Amino acid sequence: MNVNGLKDLIGKESSPVTVRIEDHAVRKFAEAVGIPFDNKVPPTFVITFPQGNIEGFNSAQDGTVHGEQKFKYYQPISVGDSITCIRQIEDVCQKTGKLGKMTFVITETKGYNAEGELVFKASSTLIFPEGNA
Amino acid sequence: MKHLWDYGVNDRMPEREWCPSAQQLRQYAEASGDFNPIHLDEDYARKAGLGGVIAHGMLTMAQVGAMLTDWLAMEGELKNFDVRFQGMVRIGERLKCSGYIKDKDGNDLICDLKVTSEEGEKKLAGSAVVSLKTEDRKTAI
Repeated sequence: MNVNGLKDLIGKESSPVTVRIEDHAVRKFAEAVGIPFDNKVPPTFVITFPQGNIEGFNSAQDGTVHGEQKFKYYQPISVGDSITCIRQIEDVCQKTGKLGKMTFVITETKGYNAEGELVFKASSTLIFPEGNA
Repeated sequence: MKHLWDYGVNDRMPEREWCPSAQQLRQYAEASGDFNPIHLDEDYARKAGLGGVIAHGMLTMAQVGAMLTDWLAMEGELKNFDVRFQGMVRIGERLKCSGYIKDKDGNDLICDLKVTSEEGEKKLAGSAVVSLKTEDRKTAI
């Protein structure tokens, strides 16, 4: 992965993607996690929202490792809500560890409800092994 | 039953135990849309130097989320939830999610969180800020 190419993308926003929180999706998620489905949205469910494309950045690469994850919640999130997500690259750096040279990418996603209110912010630190196209 | 507002600094929240299975990793991949083969394909995971499939970091975080949600019940709201993934989580490992109150700031409880294996290996370290709901207190028994 081209570190310099990624650094050029810092601050560039993805296209917004809107998703409706469906009860069957939340149920499936709750069952997979091993919790009862009580029509409430589990706090990490927001990670399943489809992410807009940032041209030049492919985050769904095989072999990607998740380093850190942060969430800030501003408004309650409910089944039936329509949430619009916009993502951007916050920072890019390279480090060498026991598995070789790794590229660290921090992305931030902001989620808005139908009223345009900021509902949540998510920050992900993804680690890409070098050599992944 | 202890109310959320009765928790003080150093108090521990109820723990949550978890033992991931291969089926759970497949189910979580379907539910989350994360089909990264490091979670599903043994050969791929070994070739990637991981020794075998590992659980999604977010599945581990979801376990901690479940611990928090159970503890908060109707009495608090999650404002911040941050984690650092420290160790690979493997199928069949017996893990424990735990947390305690590090600080209290007005209506906010600042919590320290972790996930450890039976052998004491660190899998996840994190923190959460929980806001106490004040309205319910007046009507609660």
